[in-house]
Amino acid sequence: MKFEARWLAELLDAAPPAAELAARLTDCGLLVELREQGDGSEVWDVEVTTNRPDAMNHRGLAREAAVATGSRLRPLEFELAENGDEVASLAAVEIAAGTPCSRYVARVIRGVRVGPSPEWLQRRLSNCGVRPINSAVDATNYVLLELGQPLHAFDLGRLRGRRVVVRPAAKGERLTTLDGVARELDPSMMVIADETRAVALAGIMGGAETEIHAGTTEVLLESACFDALSVRRTARRLGMHTEASHRFERGADPEIAAVACDRAAHLIAELAGGELATGRIDVWPRPWQPRRIELSVAALAAFAGLEIPAARVEAILGGLGFAPARSGDTVRVAVPAFRVDVERVADLYEEVLRHVGYGAVPAALPVLPTAPGKRHPNWQLVDRARDAALAAGLAEVVTWSFIDPGADRLVASQPLCPGPAATLANPLATTQSVLRRSLLPGLLSAAQGNLNQGERSLALFEQGRVFAGGAAGPSEPERLGIVLRDDGGDAEARFRRLKGVVEHVGTKVGLPALHWRAGGNPWLDETAGAILETADGRAVGLAGLLAPEIAAHWDLGAGVAVAELALDTATAPPLPRFAALARFPPVVMDMTVEHGSELGYAGLEAATRELAGEHVEGLGFVTRYHLPDGSGRVRTTLRLVYRHAERSLTQDEVNAWHADLRRGLAERLGVGFA
Amino acid sequence: MSTARLEEVRRAFVAELEQAGTSADGVEKVRVKFAGQRSGKLKELAEALRALPNDQKRDYGRALNELKQEIESRLAEAKQAAVTEIRVKDPGTANAKGHAPTVAVGRPVDVTLPGLPVARGAEHPVHIVRRRIEEIFLRMGYDVEAGPEVEDDWHNFEALNIPPDHPARDDQDTFYLADGHLLRTHTSPVQARVMESRQPPIRIVVPGRVFRRDSDLRHSPMFHQIEGLLVDEGITFGHLKATLEAFLHELFSDRVAVRLRPGYFPFTEPSAEVDISCIFCAQKGCGVCSGSGWIEILGSGMVDPRVFEAVGIDAGRYTGFAFGLGLDRVAMLVYGIPDLRQLFAGDQRLTRQFA
Ligand SMILES: [Zn+2]
Repeated sequence: MKFEARWLAELLDAAPPAAELAARLTDCGLLVELREQGDGSEVWDVEVTTNRPDAMNHRGLAREAAVATGSRLRPLEFELAENGDEVASLAAVEIAAGTPCSRYVARVIRGVRVGPSPEWLQRRLSNCGVRPINSAVDATNYVLLELGQPLHAFDLGRLRGRRVVVRPAAKGERLTTLDGVARELDPSMMVIADETRAVALAGIMGGAETEIHAGTTEVLLESACFDALSVRRTARRLGMHTEASHRFERGADPEIAAVACDRAAHLIAELAGGELATGRIDVWPRPWQPRRIELSVAALAAFAGLEIPAARVEAILGGLGFAPARSGDTVRVAVPAFRVDVERVADLYEEVLRHVGYGAVPAALPVLPTAPGKRHPNWQLVDRARDAALAAGLAEVVTWSFIDPGADRLVASQPLCPGPAATLANPLATTQSVLRRSLLPGLLSAAQGNLNQGERSLALFEQGRVFAGGAAGPSEPERLGIVLRDDGGDAEARFRRLKGVVEHVGTKVGLPALHWRAGGNPWLDETAGAILETADGRAVGLAGLLAPEIAAHWDLGAGVAVAELALDTATAPPLPRFAALARFPPVVMDMTVEHGSELGYAGLEAATRELAGEHVEGLGFVTRYHLPDGSGRVRTTLRLVYRHAERSLTQDEVNAWHADLRRGLAERLGVGFA
Repeated sequence: MSTARLEEVRRAFVAELEQAGTSADGVEKVRVKFAGQRSGKLKELAEALRALPNDQKRDYGRALNELKQEIESRLAEAKQAAVTEIRVKDPGTANAKGHAPTVAVGRPVDVTLPGLPVARGAEHPVHIVRRRIEEIFLRMGYDVEAGPEVEDDWHNFEALNIPPDHPARDDQDTFYLADGHLLRTHTSPVQARVMESRQPPIRIVVPGRVFRRDSDLRHSPMFHQIEGLLVDEGITFGHLKATLEAFLHELFSDRVAVRLRPGYFPFTEPSAEVDISCIFCAQKGCGVCSGSGWIEILGSGMVDPRVFEAVGIDAGRYTGFAFGLGLDRVAMLVYGIPDLRQLFAGDQRLTRQFA
């Protein structure tokens, strides 16, 4: 909020230089964010937090400044010349029963001639970012800046029946506000009405028909306290935010209403001439009672970790208007009406501490048990996945948790889809309106972005949550998503590269043993995709080359390999156990098996392992050759490492075992040998 | 001469290569016999092509080509797998047999050639920062906690002293789901969940993804926070101050000055905004600190007794402090990243810079 530094200084009896004043205010919690030269004074932008409506005006801020700098706030002095008729004979005010308005004060000035305000006033308003309009309106705005009380000036001559009623709006009632917008109201909204119609939105904005204009001669000045919640709800419903609503939403000071009314009436009479009616209308069914709180100086010291002399506590609270009274260790205060934020003793601790200065509190580390910290299992899990992907050379990206509904619809066909989509009720954009059910859409958008930037090879991963809604309540399982793309390499090579990464991650994360079953269409290419299943047939992952239709959706070319893993089934892998190191040399034998494509490598490997006997220490894939004769048959070369734990093997005995193995495989699988 | 001959050669090759196993010498002999430049079988087969009638040339040529590729690729694999014996000129300095490959040394290596790239993983800067901060607090005995990103109103707002219609809800514009749940606007709901589930002493930090309905250079609808909470008997404001100083010194440098300013958060009372002295200009004033010499880094305060009451902790017996900071903000600060939203664009060129 904008403040004029000169004005602030005028309110203090011994103001320090501007720089010091700004620094002291910042220290006590009113951050002076910006100091600029305005018209005839420095203008400050001060960040006043939402809990401090009392400091959203010059006197309120000056009160803080007085305590912070050890000066005094000058009393508010003006002479009210009441030279007109009794106000009660000129206008009437009523608060309808049950309406959330705790006080309504009004004064009447007659015979005014509204014109431009004097230059000093216009300058002050302009410095504070308020546009001067005419002397009557400017006077109310000035008092708002000075005392924080929103006021409204009505053209009394246009108020039918010369009376105002604070009441709920009627259903379908209409009001054109000062901004020229015709608004339809409902009974949840509080209005100011005259005898026949609504003339203002209470605490938010006046109506156009009763506003002050060049021909106005009679002014009814409103200074009221409207309920914060009511104003807030109405302002939100109507999408309005005004200086008045901003303050009422944060809590109005019931005591200042009368003072502000007097102050503004005095200014209007001074600036626009006219006679001020004698007395004020003041409808205040239940006058305000201060809240009383007790504070122990010793408890404050224990809470702060700093001894603060009782006299200092008293001085601070006194300066802030809390009227402290001390007996021994106890300080009793009455919370002033303008401090709507102070309700309990912790709030008083803050008042004292921020004026003593947080800097004055000595820093001392707490003494606590030396137990080591533990990481939540979920963090251990996701960071195992993250570390595995990093160890595989992948680059981490973080993409949006919300995606485009079009992309989400594609996800519904994924075997890993966690359930019905959860949709945002108030998205920023439709393209970010559905919570992701898969990491792949975000990763594919990232892939597209990278390729557009001329990146040729991609190795990306994201670790994060996906979401599902539905009757069972929301769920947010952890996932790992991977995208790989290289120039060159056939489908098999790309798939195997991806599988290598997935297998590595699976082991490191502690996923259960995975069965790779061809599938994953329509997301994955029919000829190069797999669903990863646990032993009991639960899908926990998919991996393969993107199907052309999916690739096209993200404008990606062929050959992009993707994988997504559900991490929830993982358990921390056990500590590795040492295996005795072999001491005798191995004999390495390759074996080339010719077989039909219906026999997958996994089947061949399993049979070989089973038939190979105890002396095969290692079994690995070497290469596969597709026969060019159109038969669809392939030749798969396996490498076997024979080794004996206690002695060297002879080539002859290995040859014999190897021959047995070939016979066994031929019998069991019907395969041939090249 | 026909494709049958090709198959014959292939079988012989496979058999001999198998026989050679992992002997480098053996593999080399097979190579010379089949793929040798001067008298290899492949050369012989290629020469035979010319003698064939034209109608057979195409099939033969294609099959020969496939055979050539197979032989070459399998030779390359066998060579790689082979255990090589060092050829030693001076037996006195010989290495043990079979422990290092023979390296052909011809012309001198240009030692200024670039090294071959290593496949390095690159962690996202936000997570690098998260783990550094977790580590600091783990060393101080804090547990690292986790909680849901889709929250309910109670844990995200009400338990934290932010009732419906509280103006503080304006500052945290919230994404709602159709079913009334919301995306957590801060990591603080995990505080509430932990305090509901166990009694003090509580010493936790909570990193995680959070969401606010806001988007510009400095705001992103999704970002990351880390939250800290300590509750026990006799916890003071001075403890908060020292803990934050210890943390910030560890995160940035022992030389940074730490300043606490009064601030406002609904769930702490008193509240403090925490600044560090600018790490870029030694407090002379620069663009990063907007000339002030200070950088706002986190928010903190003593836990409001209302929060204790809401989660069932005796506010008469216990006090505590809480703090929170933006992980993205720290990452932007320490790495000089200008636009928050760039962190979530999925650009690997960004991540790779922090590998
Ligand atoms: Zn700086």
